[in-house]
Amino acid sequence: MPSESDQLIPDELAIRLEQVWIRYRTSYEANPTLRGAFMRLGRREGRKRQVKVVEAVRDVTMDVPHGTVLGILGANGAGKSTLMRAMAGILPPTEGRIIVNGRVSTLLALGVGFNPMLSGRENVILGGLAAGLSVDQVEAKFDEIAAFADIGDFIDLPMRTYSSGMYGRLGFSVSVNMDPDILLIDEALSTGDAAFKEKANAKMRELVSEARTIVIVSHALALMQELCDSAAWLHKGELIQTGVPGEVVEAYMKFLKVGESAITLEDV
Amino acid sequence: MTVTPVTPDAVPAKRVRVFEERVHVYAPHRASLPPLGPYIREFWRRRRFAYELSRTTQKADHFNTTLGAAWLVLNPLLLGMVYFLLVSVLGSGGGASPAEKPSWVTTLGRILVGLFTWFYAANAMSLGAQSITSGGRLILNQAFPRALLPLSSTISAFLMFIPSLPVYFVFYVLGSHFDNSKNSLPGLSWALLWVPVLLTVLTVQCFGLAMLFAVMSVYFRDTNKFLGYLLRIWLYLTPVLYGLEKFDHHKWALYLNPMAPVIGSITRIWVEAKPPSTDLLLASLGWALGLFVFGAWFFISRERDFAVRI
Repeated sequence: MPSESDQLIPDELAIRLEQVWIRYRTSYEANPTLRGAFMRLGRREGRKRQVKVVEAVRDVTMDVPHGTVLGILGANGAGKSTLMRAMAGILPPTEGRIIVNGRVSTLLALGVGFNPMLSGRENVILGGLAAGLSVDQVEAKFDEIAAFADIGDFIDLPMRTYSSGMYGRLGFSVSVNMDPDILLIDEALSTGDAAFKEKANAKMRELVSEARTIVIVSHALALMQELCDSAAWLHKGELIQTGVPGEVVEAYMKFLKVGESAITLEDV
Repeated sequence: MTVTPVTPDAVPAKRVRVFEERVHVYAPHRASLPPLGPYIREFWRRRRFAYELSRTTQKADHFNTTLGAAWLVLNPLLLGMVYFLLVSVLGSGGGASPAEKPSWVTTLGRILVGLFTWFYAANAMSLGAQSITSGGRLILNQAFPRALLPLSSTISAFLMFIPSLPVYFVFYVLGSHFDNSKNSLPGLSWALLWVPVLLTVLTVQCFGLAMLFAVMSVYFRDTNKFLGYLLRIWLYLTPVLYGLEKFDHHKWALYLNPMAPVIGSITRIWVEAKPPSTDLLLASLGWALGLFVFGAWFFISRERDFAVRI
């Protein structure tokens, strides 16, 4: 444990995870209801059987220096998204501590805070405000965001008229243009067509060159190897391996018992 | 064991600022309050988001109807007519002599102002109750002080309330002008200056209740279903369709109902041109501050749990 007295986090670190555990309870009932609560009050022992504790993240300790592009790999349900939400301050850890040094922008889902009835322009403002910018800041960035999304006149049409690709492009554009110190991206790189993917990758490289920190969760292993300079492999909530992307990907593939075929590299 | 005391001077001021703005520490919590200073600052900094969310949601809601935003005025008017019918049918057997009985203009005036004010509060509560449970995507994917969502509900309710004010004002001025009976509406008076004061008190109370119901519906999804009936019963227990004088022999019922002192006072200002009495004013303030503090504490101490519960 680092001493609390002096500095919580060294300046060169962007994110520090200290023995982080995240558990949550899932109840067999789809929704908690008063009626269910009353029923369960009657038979106390039945209550325990209905709750299952999921250990989404187990004892993860990790330092992410500024300027790192970290790729997190792992099978479905490995706790990747949960860990990302914890780093964003959305899900508090059950045990341990997460220290984040800088302004975080998240791209955990596309078009968060967007309302399909409103125009792209209004949604950019709303999305920027949701991300914590002021109106002036968003308006100053608007042209940049619109130009990057490159959806032409659609920017003034309601978003329900957008194709899903256009929707994704605008969402991606809002997130990457927020001037974040730390950008958390969850499986959103596969947005849009080939041309937009290339542009998105270029934008990521640009952010990396400005010594921003980026954490990416993706199943596209080839892209991870290309973009990231370090990788972490999560399995059932535990951190199995961290290191150079090539090595981690290789170990992960070995574990999955699949060779490095073109298909797995594209999308596992 | 000796503990070295940490004097405030030991921490350079600059670092403290940096700590609050840039470094975030996320650690386990047990239904305790997060550091309130940074929370409130962040809440205040992002207030514009709550306003834009209300404004755009309202705009989107009226997107598909033919009459569009006209519904904002039509809604309260039609409701006023429904309740006016209800009161005049049910209340026609009243014992007052024809001379003392208020004219229909006065009755309608009282019902309209009571209802408009009541529905402001009721909308804030029912929108607030859904603000967290329906804000799933935003809550799961964006970190921000969650109290902005019930704040946005309160703002939405206020935005719905605003268009009813000019409607009422026109009715009020015309009603007092053309109705020459003894119990007519008093027209413009200095007492009306109390209305914005009491509306502010009511708004604080509504925000507190919106936070309270928002948390309740996270833990019990049935809250939303019950709330519709609760609000209707609450409406009849509050001096909305009748005046404060109904409580003359049951003062306790007036003070026990958080909505009664403030809404009763607002109606009395309009209908009788009387400023609020000291005890009603104190009761209004007490309820508003109490519910706000309790609602905020309940909400903020549990909001980090929301992402897991939704």
